[in-house]
Amino acid sequence: MSNLPFDPLLLSIAAPLAVAVAIALGVPKRVVVKLAYVGFALPALLALHVWWYFSTAAKEAHGYAFLTNYSTGLDGFGISLKLGLNGISLPLFVLAGVVGLAAGLYALQSGAERMKTYLLLLLVMQAGLMGVFASVNVFFFYFFHELALIPTFIMVGIWGGRDRSYAAMTLTIYLTAGAMLSLLGLVALYVKSGAGSFDLLALRDTLAAAPLGKVTQTHIFGLLLFGFGILVSLWPFHSWAPMGYQAAPSSAAMLHAGVLKKFGLYGLIQIGLPLLPLGAAHWAFALAALAGFGNVLVIGLVTIAQKDLKQMVGYSSVMHMGYAFLGIAAGTAFGVGGVVLLMVAHGLSVALMFLLSTSIYHRTHTYDMDRMGGLVQKAPVLAWLFVAATFASIGLPGFANFWGELTIFVSLWNFSHTLTVVAVAGTVISAVYGLRAAAKVFFGEPTGAFVQVAQAHPPADLSWSEKIPAFILVATLLFIGLWPSSLAGPINRALPGAPAAVEASR
Amino acid sequence: MTPELTALLVLLVPAASAATITLLLSRRPSAASAVSVLASAFVAYGALALALGGSRFSVSLEWLRLGTFTVGIGFRYDDLAALMLGIVGIVGLCVHVFSLGYMHDDAARARYFGGLSIFMFSMIGIVLADNLFMMFIFWELVGFSSYFLINHYNRLQSAADASKKAFIVNRVGDFGFLLGIILCYWANGTVSLAGIDAAQASGHLVYSRLIPLLLFCGAVGKSAQLPLQVWLPDAMEGPTPVSALIHAATMVAAGIYMLCRIHVLMVPDALTVIVWVGSATAFYAALCAITQSDIKKVLAYSTLSQLGYMVAAFGLGSTGAAMFHLTTHAFFKALLFLGSGSVIYGCHHEQNIFKMGGLRSRMPVTFLTFTVAVAAIIGLPGLAGFFSKDAILALAYDTNRAVFAVLTLTAVLTSFYMVRLWKIAFLGEPRSEAAAHAHEGGFAFTAPLLLLAVFSALAGYLRLYPSGFSGILSLVPESEHESTHLVVLGVSLVVLVAGVGSALALYSTDGTDALEVRSPGTFEFLTALRASFDKAYGYYVAKVQQRFAMVLNFIDVVGLAGVALRGLAGITEIAGFGLRALHTGRLNNYVYWFLGGAVVLWAYAAGFL
Repeated sequence: MSNLPFDPLLLSIAAPLAVAVAIALGVPKRVVVKLAYVGFALPALLALHVWWYFSTAAKEAHGYAFLTNYSTGLDGFGISLKLGLNGISLPLFVLAGVVGLAAGLYALQSGAERMKTYLLLLLVMQAGLMGVFASVNVFFFYFFHELALIPTFIMVGIWGGRDRSYAAMTLTIYLTAGAMLSLLGLVALYVKSGAGSFDLLALRDTLAAAPLGKVTQTHIFGLLLFGFGILVSLWPFHSWAPMGYQAAPSSAAMLHAGVLKKFGLYGLIQIGLPLLPLGAAHWAFALAALAGFGNVLVIGLVTIAQKDLKQMVGYSSVMHMGYAFLGIAAGTAFGVGGVVLLMVAHGLSVALMFLLSTSIYHRTHTYDMDRMGGLVQKAPVLAWLFVAATFASIGLPGFANFWGELTIFVSLWNFSHTLTVVAVAGTVISAVYGLRAAAKVFFGEPTGAFVQVAQAHPPADLSWSEKIPAFILVATLLFIGLWPSSLAGPINRALPGAPAAVEASR
Repeated sequence: MTPELTALLVLLVPAASAATITLLLSRRPSAASAVSVLASAFVAYGALALALGGSRFSVSLEWLRLGTFTVGIGFRYDDLAALMLGIVGIVGLCVHVFSLGYMHDDAARARYFGGLSIFMFSMIGIVLADNLFMMFIFWELVGFSSYFLINHYNRLQSAADASKKAFIVNRVGDFGFLLGIILCYWANGTVSLAGIDAAQASGHLVYSRLIPLLLFCGAVGKSAQLPLQVWLPDAMEGPTPVSALIHAATMVAAGIYMLCRIHVLMVPDALTVIVWVGSATAFYAALCAITQSDIKKVLAYSTLSQLGYMVAAFGLGSTGAAMFHLTTHAFFKALLFLGSGSVIYGCHHEQNIFKMGGLRSRMPVTFLTFTVAVAAIIGLPGLAGFFSKDAILALAYDTNRAVFAVLTLTAVLTSFYMVRLWKIAFLGEPRSEAAAHAHEGGFAFTAPLLLLAVFSALAGYLRLYPSGFSGILSLVPESEHESTHLVVLGVSLVVLVAGVGSALALYSTDGTDALEVRSPGTFEFLTALRASFDKAYGYYVAKVQQRFAMVLNFIDVVGLAGVALRGLAGITEIAGFGLRALHTGRLNNYVYWFLGGAVVLWAYAAGFL
């Protein structure tokens, strides 16, 4: 346990949920804002707290710390609210806290219509995100995902940009399909394991003693792979992502692309790889081929063709998920560690990109990059933050993303030379679209269209309420970039148990 | 201070300077420039103290460990690092001081000096890196610094385009570089320089053609060798002191430095490729320089050409000759660029040499020091370039006569285009209002020029180097054949006379390009030759890559998002009436159905129903 008089994991879920309930019950507007600050800040602070104490905290089974179990009345089915963190969930728990805080702060200053409802939905989403990564019980892992996912649909439907109903529908169809497939896989796992429990630790123990047969593993892993794969925008099931993010309000896009999307990868790493090593080995090459040629190469090139800033960010995010899949496919212990690093780094940088894109929109009144230019003269802080975000996402050393990509590239070589070449070539592609966007939006001479907009609405630089969430994200990216051991330390504690099994099975 | 601590401070003080400027001094340009200049003074002091102190050491720490994979951070301070760090320190300080004058009226000079400090930090990281991953990390960071500083005048479309191009072209080179490092990691189990040396000493080093050639790709990008040379001339969009420091003396030389760091991995076939890439670049760039009218562009192509000499020297198997020429070139090319900066500043940002003229009397210090630098680069006996270039020519004469011929021909062209530049810019009468009113800048301009002029004059005498620097320079090859010395000396003199004489005879100071007037065919051919690479790449980017991307985008949007999604929607339609809510776009219905179902299931499972 931690040295707090309460369970930090439970509180990090309960706090935003409680604030959401309070808002729903109709507390006055002034109080809503104050409460919302608490609802967004508390999970972040608690996440930092558990990160700080993780290395010294007592480790229980399978390297989990902070374990607690709450009864739900369904204990007979193996469904209990079991919370805890291991080296893989801890970095993502911190990610959820940090991005949640930034997204919340950005929402609070956004001046969105029906602000109360907007905050309410975001807080529910935040609670779900903290819950996903704190849950040791697979049932709740899935439940919290749905808890966070449904507000996303609603927010796109209500506050979305143009084509919002089409985007919301697309998003709903794809993500529900993905969620259903993975649910099928999880239920199959529950049934076939014979453990009679959704408790991940019990599943691990049972399956370590009596692993499933190769055919069963292959079938179940296939369900999980494509179910989770859709949720993480594995090519060719990615179409929802650019469309959905294009329409989504910025804070929802930040939370979904930054954190919730990692659910699928997390499921594969935390559940799929350790419990179904033979299934993982069977699917590895198909996964790598889809991710390498589809996500990295094809979508990388598609990203180059984008003219819409937000779609560009959406596609680039699909591309970077390819790297994460490649790391999972490569199946080495340190490659999977690299995937966890990349998940955190990508979550931070893509959230920052969506935040800044919206701030750009408020100054240019368009997302069309051909109608911008020279914005650095009006908004230098915005410009240099965008340049920092761009360089972070294209893997410049000094930012967290570099470590994830480097580790994945190195681990990939022994899996497939060709795919390593493809993956490294992706770094050139991402430099092309990233720097092209920065140049089109900020540098050179302003386009005629932007000159007109700037005359009608003279653009100002970022306000402090926009800067602070952006600074939080940049600072975290730099912190991990300069001191990767801050996350690699915890990750290492979880590595031997998880993917080593895959290596042994080869 | 222990040497290790000094090295650490030399690395971190510029980083601290950059951080301070970014966070605290972005609106206080004077304080920012003072911090940055003091940081560079400390670097120069530290670099000299370390070298002269004589200690050589290596230290290493773990930076990242994931499972069995580790990336270290450490210093390998040997003779090679000592020399390179000394060059970076001295040239860096000169450029910082010069920038005080040159950038004095620039509103964004806090950002500029912050950028210089980031660059110093990144460059020193490359110099001190004890393993290839760390070198790659700082390698990318100098690429970023270069992007940042080329983009200094970011209102200009040309600067925005040039900075983007520089970074992307470098990434193309780094694509190979990183693959090479990964290959080396798996082949040898280590990427630490000490580990590679140890593997070689014990006979366990894995030799392959692929590893050194992939690593060489990094040098091709950073040192702007064919076919990735296109970014360097464009990089002249940056402020002139940046061109001196980054795009002439230090960063572009990092490619050669890196090759010298990993020379034990080389195999004969790889060296053959390297020597020909270097020679071809040297010759091609010299041809390009002849038709340029922008003073900085002439110097940029000259830099390419000289880098080609260094790469060729390395390819001929001598790190000593390559590093010797790198050293002398750093001084005289930095001097040439700072001299051109002085001229540009004096002429109110006029860069066209045909609009200059008559600067000899108006800017005497600049003229004098520029003349020393020109004499050094064309190899006038007694000056720095004479010795280092002759070392390469002698090496080529002994080992590869074809390379010798190419490099000799390049030397003729070098003296030709440099004397052309010198004569047109400085001699005759002023050909513009700006040139007529040109005047020498202050002490911040002249002091660095004079200091670099002294180095450009004397850096060729190996005996003058303190013992702390001579470790690598003692490897400069001395031909065993008496005849080689005589032949090379004779050829050099002939080359010099031919190049200088023809340039003096051909070009006049009347404001026209004599080659263009007298032989338009030749002039057009050279111009087209220069533009050919940019044209080819421009065609590829606009007509191939962009169109391919558009096609893929079309397939993605129409094929996948459209048809596949319609298909999915169709299935759901068939699947049942209840799901029809989806298709009417009434999302809330779906959500309520979902939530309701979940509650019912839960209640059923829990035994409440």
